[in-house]
Amino acid sequence: MAGPPRTAAQAALADLASPATAAAPVVALEGITVAFGPTVAVDDLSLAIRPGEVVGLVGANGAGKSTLMRTLCGATAPDRGRLLLGGRQVDFDTYGPREAHASGVRIVWQELSLCGNLSVAENVFIDRPDATTTRFAWRAPYRRLARAGLDLVFPDAGIAVDRPVEELPIGQRQMVEIARAAAAPDLAVLILDEPTSSLDSVRSRQLRDHIRQRADAGLAVIFISHKLAEVLDVADRVFVMRNGRAVLDAVAADVTSAGLVEAMGGSAPAPERARKASSRGPVQAQIDGPQVSPLGHAVQLHAGEIVGIAGLEGDGQKQLLQGLIGARRRLATGSRASDAAYVSGDRAREGVFALWPVAANISIGRIARRPGWSLLSRAAERAAVQPEAERLDLDTGRFSSNILELSGGNQQKALAARALATDAPILLLDDPTRGVDIGTKRKFYDVAREAARDGKLVIWHTTEGAEYRECDRVLVMAAGCIVAELAGAEISEERVLAAAFAGRQAAGETAVTDKPSRMRRLAVTALRNAAMVGLVLVCAALVMLNPLVASVFGVDLLLGPAVALTLIALAQMFIVGGSEIDLGVGAFAGLVNVVSATLLVTAPLLGGVAIVAALGGYAVMAVIIRLRAVPAIVVTLGASFVWYGLGYSIQPAPGGSAPAWLRAMVDWSIPGVPTPLVLIVLFGVVAVLIHRSRLGTVLRGFGASPLALERSGWSPLRYTVTRYLIAGLFAAGGGLAITAMNGASDVNAGAGYTLLGVAAVVLGGCRLLGGVISPAGVVAGAVTLSLIGALLGALGVSTDFNAAVQGLLMISVLALRAAVEREEDST
Amino acid sequence: MTGFLAFAQRQRWVWAALGVLVLWVALGLATERFSLHSVSGVARSAAFLTFVALGQMFVIATGRGNIDLSVASVVTLGAFTTVTLADGDDARLPLALGAALAMGAGVGLLNAFLVVRLKIAAMIATLAMGYVLATATLIVNRQVRGFETAPLLGWIAAGRIGEVPVIALVAVIGVVLAAFVLNRTAFGQGLSATGQNLRAAELAGVPTGQSIATAFVVSGTAAALTGALLSAYVGGAFLDMGAPYLLQSVGAVVLGGSLIFGGVSTALGTMFGALLLVLIVTTMQIWRLPTGAQDVVQGIVIITVLAFAGAGLVRRARRRG
Repeated sequence: MAGPPRTAAQAALADLASPATAAAPVVALEGITVAFGPTVAVDDLSLAIRPGEVVGLVGANGAGKSTLMRTLCGATAPDRGRLLLGGRQVDFDTYGPREAHASGVRIVWQELSLCGNLSVAENVFIDRPDATTTRFAWRAPYRRLARAGLDLVFPDAGIAVDRPVEELPIGQRQMVEIARAAAAPDLAVLILDEPTSSLDSVRSRQLRDHIRQRADAGLAVIFISHKLAEVLDVADRVFVMRNGRAVLDAVAADVTSAGLVEAMGGSAPAPERARKASSRGPVQAQIDGPQVSPLGHAVQLHAGEIVGIAGLEGDGQKQLLQGLIGARRRLATGSRASDAAYVSGDRAREGVFALWPVAANISIGRIARRPGWSLLSRAAERAAVQPEAERLDLDTGRFSSNILELSGGNQQKALAARALATDAPILLLDDPTRGVDIGTKRKFYDVAREAARDGKLVIWHTTEGAEYRECDRVLVMAAGCIVAELAGAEISEERVLAAAFAGRQAAGETAVTDKPSRMRRLAVTALRNAAMVGLVLVCAALVMLNPLVASVFGVDLLLGPAVALTLIALAQMFIVGGSEIDLGVGAFAGLVNVVSATLLVTAPLLGGVAIVAALGGYAVMAVIIRLRAVPAIVVTLGASFVWYGLGYSIQPAPGGSAPAWLRAMVDWSIPGVPTPLVLIVLFGVVAVLIHRSRLGTVLRGFGASPLALERSGWSPLRYTVTRYLIAGLFAAGGGLAITAMNGASDVNAGAGYTLLGVAAVVLGGCRLLGGVISPAGVVAGAVTLSLIGALLGALGVSTDFNAAVQGLLMISVLALRAAVEREEDST
Repeated sequence: MTGFLAFAQRQRWVWAALGVLVLWVALGLATERFSLHSVSGVARSAAFLTFVALGQMFVIATGRGNIDLSVASVVTLGAFTTVTLADGDDARLPLALGAALAMGAGVGLLNAFLVVRLKIAAMIATLAMGYVLATATLIVNRQVRGFETAPLLGWIAAGRIGEVPVIALVAVIGVVLAAFVLNRTAFGQGLSATGQNLRAAELAGVPTGQSIATAFVVSGTAAALTGALLSAYVGGAFLDMGAPYLLQSVGAVVLGGSLIFGGVSTALGTMFGALLLVLIVTTMQIWRLPTGAQDVVQGIVIITVLAFAGAGLVRRARRRG
């Protein structure tokens, strides 16, 4: 890998590195100290970067790199120290992500911070809301911005900017993320935290070329990576951290990988170890099926060997491992003979149990393999896992500390100890050394080798070239298949890459896009639009039973009750869009129903104030849910008792009357057009407008990836409150609609609407995990559900069955949807 | 003081126990009507609630905000089943009680099927299940013949040994059993792991589906048992008799110090939580607060406790995780 010629530049940079001749630094951190409780993450550290300088920031895990960067971009305020941007001191009290962006400081985080449910263009909007001020057709300029940004860094990447980000493979997501930051206007400092972790070598090269080009134009770049070769290739200067302090600050050309490793605290790389071929034991696992078609034979994995799974990012390595984990159940992709223990490099999501101490985190692996009724003794469990912990150099004195108090590397050791302590004959390692320091890595290599010597089968998915050499065999994957099998001396990074690229090319040529059958596609479409389909079916059934239904009067009569449900369902939809659920929405509508039929008639001012105050209650709920991190379901359940109690106190028995103006709002009519239909469409349009607006896009972003939005400088509190207020307004509208339609109030009137609202949201195709909502679908769902009551009546079924039919309908739609999704996953 | 705080951090039931103590003393000082007799009344009401809440606690322990919203309907249907089948005859009690418990377990199994197999969010599945059961109850309600309670069940629900209500003793046994299962069995550890991090638990080898299913079955069975006992106590079954138990069961679990996000549960805390909640309701009754106001206060108390307790731990874990 040859970098751009730099001999002349290097000489100039060597000069730059000495402060005497320095241009004014674009960013200067001075004496920064950040402590979390007793742990000092960054200790009195200073770092100044001049325009046009590329600084490679390296350090073992827990060295404080990320914390330092969080300080630089406004995510963490330091306990002591100064930050100067362009020579001006920053006031940390007012310095947040938004202010950092304004000052030209941008970071690409290690964990990607895109909103998966938003399109590439919408993600650009989230990052740069001020790029245009148009309110209508605001997406077009962002589409252009997104395309321009991608072309700038990764020419001919060919990423569709209107696709939701979650549909892109991880490498492309990383590219979007980088391009988004790199294309920002007035960029002064670009921070890249492990930017190439998911990029193949071609894209990595393009990125580094782009960085050099931008640096020549005066951009300051901080490049954080564990891939030392890449750091030395791209950086002018390397800055090494260890335990929160700077231990090395040198011109990149003067440093070697070995020197960096030594400075970081690892021992110098061990010389190539002479390894005798392991003795193969019996077959422990077998990979067959379509995955091995390029090889033409099944792959058998034996006890006592280390088998590497390699390939370009996202070519099916992870799926293969997961397939082996589940192999006992699904024999389609492969099989295994014995128990397997799993170690994932994705500690937070697939590894640690955050509420437990270290000891419990280790012993759960053993405990999980026993029958549920077997009795436990904590002391015995501790004693049992102690040897494994010691084997990995994990301090047993910290067994009682919470797992999260350990550094990343030590957490990883605990997870490995968990797997080793199970005595499972197969070890599945999924990139276990991701982001851990060199010392821990080396320990892992030793342990893996030792496990193989003890007769275990070790299956190791790795993304790091150097780790291939630890394996006895390497299976190279491309496009979801195993394309090559390398053994012994054949194993080298070059050959793995060559095989992977060749495999991808071959797969591209013989690409067989298996089209789902027409029936299946029809089923998927029908389910996605369950509400519309249901609406058509129910209407058809009603008209068949009684043709009069199709008249204006008939529609008027049937749709009357649907108005309130539509509004309440839309309220629920906005809550669901934030991946929460409001169990009090029906009771709230009931309360507004009562207030509007009593107070609002006798004392309009007081009534108005009461309704506004109730809406204030929604805002308070939002604040509690957001600030105290309490689940919405319980808060809204509690609130439902408050709404009901208030309503009951105002009016214990049904009664009251609708205010004249409210009646007037539903009493008009355009000849030939049923009034309720007009109202329903009107409210639907309002919801669609909110949904499609900039505000709606931000709300959807928060629904799926709140952290990403927070990092782009959006206030979670503000938008949670906004979301709840929107929902509260729709729900209050629902309460008013009940009053207008019934001309009276009943505190119990709202109760049934909670389930109906949820059911309408489900039928309407909204995703309950948040972020994906469909106002049109919800409206159709609400109308369908209210018509079902009429249909059951027309069929002569007792109204007792209404709730059951609605509940069952909801469950069946969800069940069918889940079934279809599962099938899609498996193909 | 710091020693106590550290202790309370580990033993999360302490706050609820303190709350019970304070409210008890305050009531004793404030009113003479709060006699020994009313104490056993409180204990009895708390015992009924404890059963439902223990079941709810297992479901909440499975994490991701899982809650069993069908408990109210199961309590009601459990009461109807017992009354209809027992018909005031001890000889028919095993059949009636068995049918009620089987119904509860069956509902739990169905909930578990929806949640584990069909991957429907627990709150949606159990919400819908609750409505389906409500319909079932409406239909059973039309068939009910008598309101006779089996005498034996009546003794368990309403009888005393000395001054102590039998039901309170049964509840304490239930609490001890639940605490043992949570803390001393492989299932309990697996449940806690499932609640903290489902994916990690699966990869660590925990049979997560089984754990979650068991939790729902426990919840359904406990709710049905409560319904059976309640029918014996009030001498019959009526629509909506289970309704208060939905919010209160969640409230008791949360007040007791179990984490609403799952992973950490305390059976002892749930018992104290139930006691505290019942004491609060009793206090309101002594003050002759109107029904509407009682609902409002209950709702506010639960939201407030949630907002000020427990959440801190979750936030810390989230931030660092």
